[in-house]
Amino acid sequence: MKGSDRLRRLACYAVIAALAVAAVSCNEAHPNTTLVPHSDFGREIDFLWNRLLLLGTIVFILVEGALVYVVFKYRRRENQGTPPQTHGSTKLEIAWTLIPAVILVFIAVPTVKTIFITQAQAAPGSLNIDVTGHQWWWEFRYPEYGVTTANEIYIPVGRTVNFRLRSADVIHSFWTPQLGGKRDVVTNRTNYLWYTPDSSIASSVWNGFCAEYCGSSHANMRFRVFTVTQAQFDSWIAGQKMPARFGAVAGPTPPAGGQIPPPMEAPGMSVPAGANAPSQTAQGAAPRIARQSSGTQAPGGAQPAIPRPQTPAANPGAQTSVGGVTPSTGAASIPGALPAGYIFPRANIPDYAIPHTPIPADLKFTAGLTGSAARGKQVFSGAACIGCHSIAGNPAAMGVLGPNLTHVGSRSIIAAGRYPNTAAYLALWIKNARKMKPDVLMPTLGMDEYDPVLKAKVTSANGGLTDQQIADIVAYLTALK
Amino acid sequence: MATTAIRTPAYGAEYPGEHGGLYSWLATVDHKRIGILYLYTALGFFIFGGLEAVVIRAQLGAPNQHLVSAEFYNQLFTMHGTTMIFLAIMPLSSAFFNFLIPLQIGARDVAFPRLNAFSYWVYLFGGLFITLPIFFAVAPNGGWFGYAPLTTKAYSPGLNIDFWVIGLQILGVSSLAAAFNFLTTIINLRAPGMTLMRMPMFTWMAFVVQVLLVLAFPVITIALVFLLFDRFFGTNFYNTVSAGADPLLWQHLFWIFGHPEVYILVLPAFGLVSEVIPVYSRKPLFGYPVMVYSGILIAVLGFGVWAHHMFAVGMGPIADTFFGLTTMLIAIPTGVKIFNWIATMAQGAVRYTTAMLFGVSLVGLFTIGGISGIMHSSPPADLQQTDTYFIVAHFHYVLFGGSIMGIFAGIYHYFPKITGRMLDEKLGKWHFWLMFIAMNLTFFPMHFSGMLGMPRRIYTYDAGQGWDLYNAMSTIGAMIFPIAMLFFIYNFFKSRRSGEIAGSNPWGAGTLEWSIPSPPPEYNFAKIPTVTTRYPLWEGKEPDHESARINAQEGKTPHELGIIIPYSTMKPLLVAAGLIIMFCGLIWSHVLLAVGAGTLILSLYSWLLSPLEPEHS
Repeated sequence: MKGSDRLRRLACYAVIAALAVAAVSCNEAHPNTTLVPHSDFGREIDFLWNRLLLLGTIVFILVEGALVYVVFKYRRRENQGTPPQTHGSTKLEIAWTLIPAVILVFIAVPTVKTIFITQAQAAPGSLNIDVTGHQWWWEFRYPEYGVTTANEIYIPVGRTVNFRLRSADVIHSFWTPQLGGKRDVVTNRTNYLWYTPDSSIASSVWNGFCAEYCGSSHANMRFRVFTVTQAQFDSWIAGQKMPARFGAVAGPTPPAGGQIPPPMEAPGMSVPAGANAPSQTAQGAAPRIARQSSGTQAPGGAQPAIPRPQTPAANPGAQTSVGGVTPSTGAASIPGALPAGYIFPRANIPDYAIPHTPIPADLKFTAGLTGSAARGKQVFSGAACIGCHSIAGNPAAMGVLGPNLTHVGSRSIIAAGRYPNTAAYLALWIKNARKMKPDVLMPTLGMDEYDPVLKAKVTSANGGLTDQQIADIVAYLTALK
Repeated sequence: MATTAIRTPAYGAEYPGEHGGLYSWLATVDHKRIGILYLYTALGFFIFGGLEAVVIRAQLGAPNQHLVSAEFYNQLFTMHGTTMIFLAIMPLSSAFFNFLIPLQIGARDVAFPRLNAFSYWVYLFGGLFITLPIFFAVAPNGGWFGYAPLTTKAYSPGLNIDFWVIGLQILGVSSLAAAFNFLTTIINLRAPGMTLMRMPMFTWMAFVVQVLLVLAFPVITIALVFLLFDRFFGTNFYNTVSAGADPLLWQHLFWIFGHPEVYILVLPAFGLVSEVIPVYSRKPLFGYPVMVYSGILIAVLGFGVWAHHMFAVGMGPIADTFFGLTTMLIAIPTGVKIFNWIATMAQGAVRYTTAMLFGVSLVGLFTIGGISGIMHSSPPADLQQTDTYFIVAHFHYVLFGGSIMGIFAGIYHYFPKITGRMLDEKLGKWHFWLMFIAMNLTFFPMHFSGMLGMPRRIYTYDAGQGWDLYNAMSTIGAMIFPIAMLFFIYNFFKSRRSGEIAGSNPWGAGTLEWSIPSPPPEYNFAKIPTVTTRYPLWEGKEPDHESARINAQEGKTPHELGIIIPYSTMKPLLVAAGLIIMFCGLIWSHVLLAVGAGTLILSLYSWLLSPLEPEHS
């Protein structure tokens, strides 16, 4: 029968497709694949997965093969009488009860072993990171160092990281697919997850996701993990430990940061409309420097980040809707313009870790504004911002509801991975976060903007900010490296 | 056997003593009519839930799309799951329970005909209650699993979750009432000689499912009562702020219900396929007793595996080990079923009707779902799989490849018995092949998007994550389903009106339901048959043949035969309406609560005081 031929062909295609895709899925086009583990934990799981896949494939071929064989072999033929009326066979029943049982033993034994290995306590001397899941962003604290950051973590390769997972509200789940399995972040509980990133993945960035449905913006609760060398990590920690660099009381000089020529500071603030053309003369040199400063060969590991120009090609909507913001921190002498410690070079961040989310079409920003960081600090400190955000070194900003912004300028993403952290996106974000990310707690601040949650227009009476004021705040925040 | 008399096999005013038209449906207590009501309603909800899925897939067809808002997407996926589970698959199974159980065991109706009507009306009203809010964009949005504390008032202050909590509570009433009814029917109303081990496999699986329902639904009821109290009266079962509450309590309660629920969804389809495959292979079911025991074993083990939905919550190694191993064990009885179906076909004379194609596809597709199921029975491996699209692929192979394919096998197989007319085989095969292709094109790539790191329940995803191809494939596949369903709908209504007349046993089947005319007369069996074997029409002895001859007669009224038929009554409908109005009162106004309670009490009182049927003379 024609239909059954198709059934057989489909079954064959399914097997071939499965094998083909399994092979293909190991390549670089799949940045979040669970099949190429980069940690001890990931490899434990991968071992089990490979065994499950092998046995599963064998069972699949045998069972579907038997089915397809029977489907063809025992088609009713012309004038065929009643077939033999067999009722069963005890031998066969015993056989196909026992065979699966035996197969299961080969799965069960390594499974139980792995359960106990991976759920043991983290090795002593591990790096502790306290993870707090919020609707819809991640708070990360390094308790040994007193560092608090958001949505981005730096971890040294070759050292076990012990994540202590807590939730500030509902249940989330902490997951970096390439580094290991997930663990839920459960209200009223502390969960643990540890893994040791392989030494071979220094200078890499990995995507992380919230994997438990947690409300409207569950899809927008992503994070980044930067795996770096121990030296880079130490430098990064040193920088993050310092109070905010701009306008704060001067802290100790960073290990090696001050010597970068001034023009390097600004390129990251060019708007997406800036296309690939470098907006500043020195930018042409940036990629070269960036390459030098990245990688494991950097001895001090303390080279500052070289922001790279945005690539708006994948983001056509941005070109028309975003006005220009050119934050100016003034001269190079302003300390905040320079990163305090190592920052993963933006030029080295691969495409999969740069958000491509389009900007809402109806959100506009005045073109050509130049922000002043000094003014921005004042506006920030007098606006609603301080109710939710902390900036170490700015005594006005003590809020704890939102991400800590002490070194927000050093981060590559905002809005938990929904947008890249550039001046243009940041300006729109401050102007109307609720249009940028559904149901976000951060209120709409732009003057005359419509707040989709409050269903009302923002006025000066309830703290609306003009585009100029926002540009100032952007200049201030981007200076907080 | 088959009659040549041409008559209109429609359910109009066919039964003497019944009124025609709408009233005859509102007031019916006949299990066959109630089964048909279930069938139509559940197919309606199935199509509605399918359309929700089409929108979901359209949104995910490419990265960063914004066809619907995040909020509405969340309502869509919540309602897709809730609809398919509670409003489509369960009631489609109920349609078959209603229609088939009395026919298969040789009974004239279910044990409690009016309770049966009540179950249906509560299901219909509850289904509307939980579905209609989506037209006002206030549909439930907490996922079909409704994890606390997201679903508590603090994080979901709107009406959305209220509709869900109350709606599920209402549907639970329906399921429990029906379950007790079928249990009583199967235990007490079997024809003489119909021992338990002679029962058709569908009735056996139905029996197991009723036991599961009776044991599992009270758990979700309690979980929902806690949540309802948290939301409406400020108690503290799952609340986060105050000390003592535990959100994991919800998860445990939910999955103690939720995993048996999976078997509630799939065992009826297994039962249907266990009827379909022997008929078209012209062989008795292979290993009948083992099929019975494996069904029971699946049900028993089904209560010991719930926490495999929770391997990521950090239960500790002992619990993970226990639930991992029990989950692996459940693969054994399930595998046995697969092997027995294949062995039933082996050495048979297999006819590939549409029903058989659906039946065979269940065996092949469910196997895939079973294999991926084993893959996440290993807790550490599951940590990479849970809450990704790999899981979505898995359970669609189980619930679509298993339940839905089995139910369509049942529909094509039993349509002639239900309506007296044959479905068009050519259109049926179009339907099958389109659905088979759509199913695999939609769900197979999800294995890959999942293992490549795509989380579930996300309304959008960024470009460059390596998921675009697989999502595009899934979306194209999903767009084929509506086309397949158009073939089915057209076929259904066309054949209903002008299909070939079926006769009592068009497929040459062997069980009791095929010994009576199609559609069956109101009283089912003119003479309650005496059964001597599992397939009375194939291998029956003289008592079987004699009852078959009598029962094949058409056109006799119950009056002529001296058979007493229950009165039609709208009281079950009124009680159900009162119940719904009462629950609506929780949301809108206390006046409704009083009105509903009043309606419920008065109509229940009058129900209990009115006799079921005329007195026996």
